[in-house]
Amino acid sequence: MNALKRTSTIIILAALCGLAPFSPAALPEGPKAGDLILGGPLSSTDIREVIRKIDEMYRSRSSAATLEMEIVTPHWQRTLKMRVWSEGMDKTFVRIDEPLKEKGVATLRIGNDMWNYLPKTGKVIKVPPSMMMGSWMGSDFTNDDLVKEYTFVDDYTFEPATVENPESGVVYIKCTPREGVPVVWGSVLIEARESDAIPLRERYYDGTGRLMREMVFKDVGSLGGRVIPKTLELVSATKAGQHTVLRYTEASFDKPLDPAIFSLRNLRSGD
Amino acid sequence: MAVRNIFRQKRRTILTGLSMFGGFVLGSFFIAWADGTYNGIIDMFTRTRLGHIQIHAGDYLDQPSLYKTIDDLAKIGPVIEAVKGVESWAPRVDFGGLVSVGDKSAGARLTGIDPARENETTHFDRRIVEGRAFSLAPSHEAVIGSGLAKNLEAGIGGSLVVLSQAADGSMANDAYRIVGIATTGDEMTDRTSVYLHWKDAQDLMVLGDRVHEIAVVVDSLSAGPWVTRLLRERLGDPKLSVEPWQVFARSFYNAMKADKEGMWITLLVVILIVAVGVLNTVLMAVLERRREYGLLKAVGTRPRQVFEIVMMEAAFLAVVCILLGSVVALILNSYVSAHGIRLSEPISYGGIKLASMNTELNLRSFLIPALTVLATAGLAALFPSLKAARTVPAKTMRMH
Amino acid sequence: MPRTGFFIKLAWRNMLRNKRRSAIAASAIGIGLAALIFTDAFIAGMKNNMIHTATASFLGEGQIHARGFRTTQAPELTIRELAQVTKKLKDERRIGHFALRTVASGMATSPAEARPVMIYGVDPENERYLSQVDDTIKEGDFFTGEDLRELVIGAKLAKDLQAGLGSWIVLTCSTAGTGEISQELFRISGIYEFGIPEMDGGMAFIRLGMGQRMLGAGTEVHEIALKFVDSRDAGRKGLTLWQDLSAAGNEALPWTELLPQLKGVFDMTSAFLAVTGLILFTIVTFGIVNTLFMSFYERMFEFGVLRAVGTRPSAMRKLVLFEAGALAVLSLGLGTILGLALTAVAARTGIDYRGIEFAGATVRDLIYPQLSGRQFLIYPAAVFIFTLVVALYPARAAGKLNVAEALRRSL
Repeated sequence: MNALKRTSTIIILAALCGLAPFSPAALPEGPKAGDLILGGPLSSTDIREVIRKIDEMYRSRSSAATLEMEIVTPHWQRTLKMRVWSEGMDKTFVRIDEPLKEKGVATLRIGNDMWNYLPKTGKVIKVPPSMMMGSWMGSDFTNDDLVKEYTFVDDYTFEPATVENPESGVVYIKCTPREGVPVVWGSVLIEARESDAIPLRERYYDGTGRLMREMVFKDVGSLGGRVIPKTLELVSATKAGQHTVLRYTEASFDKPLDPAIFSLRNLRSGD
Repeated sequence: MAVRNIFRQKRRTILTGLSMFGGFVLGSFFIAWADGTYNGIIDMFTRTRLGHIQIHAGDYLDQPSLYKTIDDLAKIGPVIEAVKGVESWAPRVDFGGLVSVGDKSAGARLTGIDPARENETTHFDRRIVEGRAFSLAPSHEAVIGSGLAKNLEAGIGGSLVVLSQAADGSMANDAYRIVGIATTGDEMTDRTSVYLHWKDAQDLMVLGDRVHEIAVVVDSLSAGPWVTRLLRERLGDPKLSVEPWQVFARSFYNAMKADKEGMWITLLVVILIVAVGVLNTVLMAVLERRREYGLLKAVGTRPRQVFEIVMMEAAFLAVVCILLGSVVALILNSYVSAHGIRLSEPISYGGIKLASMNTELNLRSFLIPALTVLATAGLAALFPSLKAARTVPAKTMRMH
Repeated sequence: MPRTGFFIKLAWRNMLRNKRRSAIAASAIGIGLAALIFTDAFIAGMKNNMIHTATASFLGEGQIHARGFRTTQAPELTIRELAQVTKKLKDERRIGHFALRTVASGMATSPAEARPVMIYGVDPENERYLSQVDDTIKEGDFFTGEDLRELVIGAKLAKDLQAGLGSWIVLTCSTAGTGEISQELFRISGIYEFGIPEMDGGMAFIRLGMGQRMLGAGTEVHEIALKFVDSRDAGRKGLTLWQDLSAAGNEALPWTELLPQLKGVFDMTSAFLAVTGLILFTIVTFGIVNTLFMSFYERMFEFGVLRAVGTRPSAMRKLVLFEAGALAVLSLGLGTILGLALTAVAARTGIDYRGIEFAGATVRDLIYPQLSGRQFLIYPAAVFIFTLVVALYPARAAGKLNVAEALRRSL
């Protein structure tokens, strides 16, 4: 059954549809860099603000981006380059550009239906919804990360966290899932820049307080008009030699997209 | 004199002999049949699906993984061939994936096989119910399980698309032409299995020359254990696990073991009854002739001689019956071994259809009954003959 | 011609005159009979155990599904006319217990791992009668609390997920109809261990209500497991209840069709034991033939004397027959008592096959040989009749006896 799980990893190519950075919300505009939270102990409202900003950092009504994913496992290493388009919560299109072996592979997801196009055979496979679980392409991202139906602000409770040797200018927030929310984490510790709420690190713990994995945000820069970390690094704390790096090369948010992108014809076009 | 006595009382001899003879033949048949049926099942099971011995890398048996591979097949193959007792062997590649025909898809368990070797080892070609087996050279062909064919609404000639994650992490995908549909009798297996040519599979999954499993068939079931040991020695690689079917098919083994134990109980019962039958008749025969013995003593035969005569008679008769019985049993067992007893309705056991039960010709089906008959005859004759030796002639002669 | 009573008395007296010979002969036949009885009881016990082993762990003795569910496992194929079906089941007196279940294939995720599982929504009250999951709990319990989010999984799955009692697990599956992904959070409240990898590593149990909620199935269910008052009813395909319960687009099947491999094992064991029984019986008959013929020929002189003093042929025949009858009765008495004793002892202590696993089930209970009326009626009757039939030959010979020869032969 391990093999089936591995399979579903590839299938989750489609889950890119919901890739956290690109899940849209009802917000009319993105967060603006520069919302300042100045020093001193943070009030709960301040914390809420930070969390909200982090949630919304990568959301939009529609998006188009080029990104690179580097996956390192104990058995192999690879780097994928791909272009992703998304609209609303349920339409996504992914096209892989590199490596050569997978060039032209595309995934289309509309609602609960997902198709993969395989240029080598020229065939389209429809993926059953039950296969859309587990880790994504052998990476450390899970479907939950990518579909991210749950937001920190709505589905978690949060409080300031005390850590040993806190860095100055950094705010530490402990998030605990609310009762009944289907996430497996016991708690998530978020480190963010006090000045602009840019996240630095997210540490995921299980119910017993064991560190399971860590997401590190790097390369803060301009992306599609927003100032956000362009690199996300996810490192497993339990599996040795396993980590994934996601780098955004380009992105644009909320620009109108040609609806023809999200079609089977586009899937087969190989472009 | 013993011999003369025997032939004198023909009827008595015949009757006594009958119980020995009958007991022997029936006992022999029972053992041959029980052994034959069980060993037949085990053999069929191991030959057609599992192989008698399997070789894997490390702890693949407990925790299968795409990455736990046997890497130097080129070197290992000849070593296996050279081991005496090995009849044939076949390498296999195993992985999971998503398969699709038209717009229907399902999760599947894929196995890459070497067509020539697999046919020789587990008679893979016999499992094909529709279409044909693989071409010898890799030709992008696929054979799928009957249940899967139904689920995917696929037929011969259809195109099967396979999607999986290769050993280098890349997306493994390719299309294959369905040339055959196979059944194993196990519903779950048939619903999820896909077979490819192993070279195609290795290509697809970027495995190079690596395989996950080598199945070995030995020429006789009993040779299993020592061939396993020999293989381990010759291969001499601690990272390889060489296990006999009793280990890798543990649940099947346990089931067979349990049944065999049940058989021992019944065997004991059968032996008991044979013994009692012989005891009964020999005892009666000996007891009835006390007058005779008295006569013998009266004419001067020494006690010891009387004792010997009685014992020898019993022994002689037993031996003759055993020999005669052996001949008959041999004929009977050989016949049933070759032709079997046809079952009114074939039984399917673990996916294999049993249409007839056959006996097995082996030593113990003759040895055990022989010992039983001999021992009980001797035992039965012992007490009375001792008594006969000690009888007072006058007393016995007055008996009738 | 003297009355029958006379012959009976004479036959008995002759028997008792040579106690040793009668005893030996009777023992031989008696032991054979006892063996037949015991083997028959053993077969019955073994069959019962097999059925129980396979069906009691989780399968049930029969199951009802909507037609097509077994092959496709589609979540929208719930049992049709559920209310009617449950009413029929309640009214059907042959059915002892039944349990409703939702069945879905999905994933179980822990912070460390994800594994595919079959998710069963069960009703703990009734499920207890149908499955042994509650009997094999090694940690925690089987839904004794009030919490809807209770989850019971197998030891292997817990290990694979690197989780334990109290761990939070997310179960994911797709809903009926839309195929939308449904996820819910559960907390491990019980861990069981069957010793069978498929059961311990691939199943997850939640409350029926939660199962229905996750699948968007409302009040519907996918499977009803049945347990009969008399287990043998499960093997009786001819009962009307099968058709009755298969109405309206459902299909009700006994375990023999749900687990064909087990049926195979069952058949094979039956066939094996049938042949064994035959062989046993043959050996016993040999013993009878031998005994009767032997005793006749050994007593030639006696019979000769009887003829010499004027006993009529018909009386001679009758004597032989009655003696055979007397021997038979003695043997039967001995055999049945011995057989009864042996079986009763074994039935009390049981025969231990525990731990053996086959066809997807593990033997958990001892095998108890089962006594049945047949053993005490048919086998003894068969032996008795056979004895008399065999005695006909020497009886005839006794009637035709040539006195001079008989008297001469005895030396």
